[in-house]
Amino acid sequence: MTADLDDFRATVRAWCAEHIPADWRAAQTGVDDEEFVRFQKAWFAELHSAGYAVPHWPREWGGGMSVAEQVVLYQELAARDAPRLVLAFVSIHHAASTLLAAGTDEQRRRHLPAILDGEIWVQGFSEPEAGSDLASLRTTARRVGDSYIVSGQKLWASGGKHADWCLLLARTDPDAPKRKGISYFLLDMTTPGVEVRPIRNAIGDSHFCEVFLNDVSIPAANLVGAENAGWQVAQSTLGAERGLTMLELAERLGNAGFRWLVQACPLDDPVVADQLAQFEIEITGLRGLCRKMVEGNEAGTAGPADASIVKLYYSELLQRLTDFGAEIGGLPAHTVLAKPMSSGWESGSWLLDFIGSWEWTIPGGSSEIQRTIIAERGLGLPREPSVA
Amino acid sequence: MAHEFDEFHDELRSVAGDLLAKDRNVDWPTLVDAGWVGLEVPEQFGGAGVTFAEVAVICEEMGRAASANSYLGSAVLAIGALKALQPSGTRDQLLADMASGAVRVAVALEPFEFVPDAEGADRILVVADGGVAEPAVTVTPQPVLDETRRLATVTADSEASEVLRFEGDPGVAVRRLHERAAVAVACDSLGLSEAMLAATVAYAKVRSQFGRPIGSFQAVKHACADMLVSISVSRQLVSAAVEAVAEDRPDAGVAVAMAKSHACSAAVDVAGKAMQLHGGIGYTWESGIHVYLKRAALNRSLFGSPADHRRQLAQRYL
Repeated sequence: MTADLDDFRATVRAWCAEHIPADWRAAQTGVDDEEFVRFQKAWFAELHSAGYAVPHWPREWGGGMSVAEQVVLYQELAARDAPRLVLAFVSIHHAASTLLAAGTDEQRRRHLPAILDGEIWVQGFSEPEAGSDLASLRTTARRVGDSYIVSGQKLWASGGKHADWCLLLARTDPDAPKRKGISYFLLDMTTPGVEVRPIRNAIGDSHFCEVFLNDVSIPAANLVGAENAGWQVAQSTLGAERGLTMLELAERLGNAGFRWLVQACPLDDPVVADQLAQFEIEITGLRGLCRKMVEGNEAGTAGPADASIVKLYYSELLQRLTDFGAEIGGLPAHTVLAKPMSSGWESGSWLLDFIGSWEWTIPGGSSEIQRTIIAERGLGLPREPSVA
Repeated sequence: MAHEFDEFHDELRSVAGDLLAKDRNVDWPTLVDAGWVGLEVPEQFGGAGVTFAEVAVICEEMGRAASANSYLGSAVLAIGALKALQPSGTRDQLLADMASGAVRVAVALEPFEFVPDAEGADRILVVADGGVAEPAVTVTPQPVLDETRRLATVTADSEASEVLRFEGDPGVAVRRLHERAAVAVACDSLGLSEAMLAATVAYAKVRSQFGRPIGSFQAVKHACADMLVSISVSRQLVSAAVEAVAEDRPDAGVAVAMAKSHACSAAVDVAGKAMQLHGGIGYTWESGIHVYLKRAALNRSLFGSPADHRRQLAQRYL
């Protein structure tokens, strides 16, 4: 087994050497949206042709790699500084795990192969009044014949303007308790009444979008799971953010992220050296936590707070590390005004990565929410009034 | 003893707050007309003849508003540099011209790669050994992520014909100029921290999730409390540093290093916490929190990093 893994590692390494565009970071710095999408789709196709784009999917749909192999794959991609799959992230993780867990055969046949051909998905969960308190969402869907008519507003739909399809939560029973009246839909973004407006974020990008839904008709066949059972279905979507996605991010932070920090630092300064060693310790701990979580998910032994512990630790470590990079970088670090869009949060621009790190501590359950989950589900402490 | 000016400071603060709240970009004539440029210029040259303590009040308000203007480079540093010179016709005329708004001067002191407000200045004085000179210079803008500041690289193209000499020990004069710059930036960070705390507290009272204002959750409440504690310490350290610089105390450098290191580090944490507690809205461009976070991060690196200032303090233990 170990020998097989060593062979696999060598194969991935050789593939990386041949296929990762040598100058992609420079070439992707400050590019327009069109070029970002072109590059991301081309890189996805390249990874897919090697069998590396959706290794976590079941074999029948084009995946089937063992977890141990996936760990090796993400380690090697990170070590060789491969571009990150930013655009397809929701498609290959959230959309796929939802369809696999709760979709119909028809829905899977319609979408899983399409995703491999480049179909892009966006998540339509949050709303202006439903952020941390997602279950209070107000977008409504009412059944009319063979369709649902949907109206409302979604927020923080990452990649919304490039999306072909949307994972949508809407309220189908306004009288039921909050979580019991929500249904889960697959929405074709070309449906009349769907309007996408980009929101500029703190670092000047506009990949977050608002999605306005004005009497949008969704065929009843696009309901996922039972009517009013959307909250349970959504758990499989959110579950996709756990495990290997975090392992990939931790590996990337431990490779390019830490390597550049070391390069940027005056190592003869004992205070700086001490701080670097501290970061190395923490990254090593994080990588271990991620591997344990992946194994736990596989063996069914993961604890109820494991995902929250990893998400909280990764996001806050990322914030502290980029903050330190920004401080050490001094004034010259402030003159880097653009970063390679396909890099993620180890772009080489400390300031942009630092400000961008709030994209990890706020969405997907803020740090405050994660701490509450860890204390309540992990430690069994009494619950806060009216908090999930 | 400083308390006799409390009322004056309150009034200055309130007027400045109102004026700066109107528009993020404030042009030079507005700063001159408000009387802020000439605050430290002696009355005989058309100024108000007050001290750095009053300038510090304005610096704090600049931070609170995250105001984009040339006050730091062209008032705080320029007037400070001129006042440190031996009286001369050239110097006196410059002081009078600055108080009247006839010219905008920028002062280049190290690091010359990042000189505030040099771009578009009418005249640029370069701090050199023993004094201040006005050589022909090339000014190359250095755009930074913080869009509220204008920094530029200043390179001298020729030798200056005349050097205006500092009064007293030139080494001390240059050091004091750096201290003045550092404490001005610390004031800015203090003001912006207070603005971020105020905005966060206001938001936590009105934003509701789970059927109650988010400010009623201890996670939010405690974070706001921590911001206040940290800012309270900043205010003590900054006030002490302002007083030391205003009174030209020989050991002002200690108070300045403490204030610059603490207030500028704390401001990054406070602005970051503000972004966090505003949730998704805080991460939007439109909310403007990022403006404060970027300014806080730039302030931290301007005129000595926290580590630089701490290193300086630690020298005294040897």
